[in-house]
Amino acid sequence: MRVVVRTLSELCITVGTLICLFVVYVLFWTGVRADGAMNHQIDVLHDQWSKQTARPKSTAGATGASSAAPAPPAPYVAGKPFAIMYIPRLGFTWNKPVLENTAVSTLKKGLGHYAHTARLGQVGNFAVAGHRRTYGDPFVDFPRLRPGDAVVLTDGTTWFTYRIDKGPYKTVPTDVEVIDPVPRKSGYTRAGRYLTLTTCDPEWGHSHRLIVWAHLDSTQPVEEGEPAALRR
Amino acid sequence: MYGWIWRHLPGNVWVRALIALALVLLVVYVLFQYVFPWAEPLLPFNDVTVDNQ
Repeated sequence: MRVVVRTLSELCITVGTLICLFVVYVLFWTGVRADGAMNHQIDVLHDQWSKQTARPKSTAGATGASSAAPAPPAPYVAGKPFAIMYIPRLGFTWNKPVLENTAVSTLKKGLGHYAHTARLGQVGNFAVAGHRRTYGDPFVDFPRLRPGDAVVLTDGTTWFTYRIDKGPYKTVPTDVEVIDPVPRKSGYTRAGRYLTLTTCDPEWGHSHRLIVWAHLDSTQPVEEGEPAALRR
Repeated sequence: MYGWIWRHLPGNVWVRALIALALVLLVVYVLFQYVFPWAEPLLPFNDVTVDNQ
């Protein structure tokens, strides 16, 4: 009898410790890992971009005017970063890598670009998903976004400044129309260069989604420095 | 359970405590490295897309 009670209580303590450890893992450790992973993705991008900008300069010197026609942009590679997003409203130091596709493993390393939506800056809807909670909490302050806020992205050659027009808009997880090329409830009526951000709502749940829509406001080459929206 | 493990560890009290500590750390490592990453997607925090891909 004593052995049974002792084993049972030991089991209860073990399960309790396990649950506590799991909470620590979800709340704390996923953030630590994600911060490291996101910084690594951003480093990868900066590496790529510094190589890219170094190459045209050296070839331009050798071939002269023949390098005037820009090469067609490379397709996005699944699970690989291709841009960095800045949202001043979420914090002046807030910047996250944007990776191709929205797989669970991709979203652990940054924001995910819906693979079948438009490319950055192109006509259509550039749609991006991100974690609200866990894995670095990238979109934890999502409800603070307001119309007029800037969403700035760079792909290494161009700065894209989007302005939020509508949101945060709450919808259900099956509402795939929100990432259509012309999202129905966004108020847009014509084709244009749009951006959609999605995350989960409520903070720790998955019953709804929060959406914001933005349109492309301006672009400028990286050589001209940061866009006005990022200057303090 | 824990008493059984304790009795089967070799050495004196200090050696046993050291081995026990190492075992605990090993268990925590396995949990954080393999078990929790597997269990975490079963929770709803990963559902941030509208098309459930």
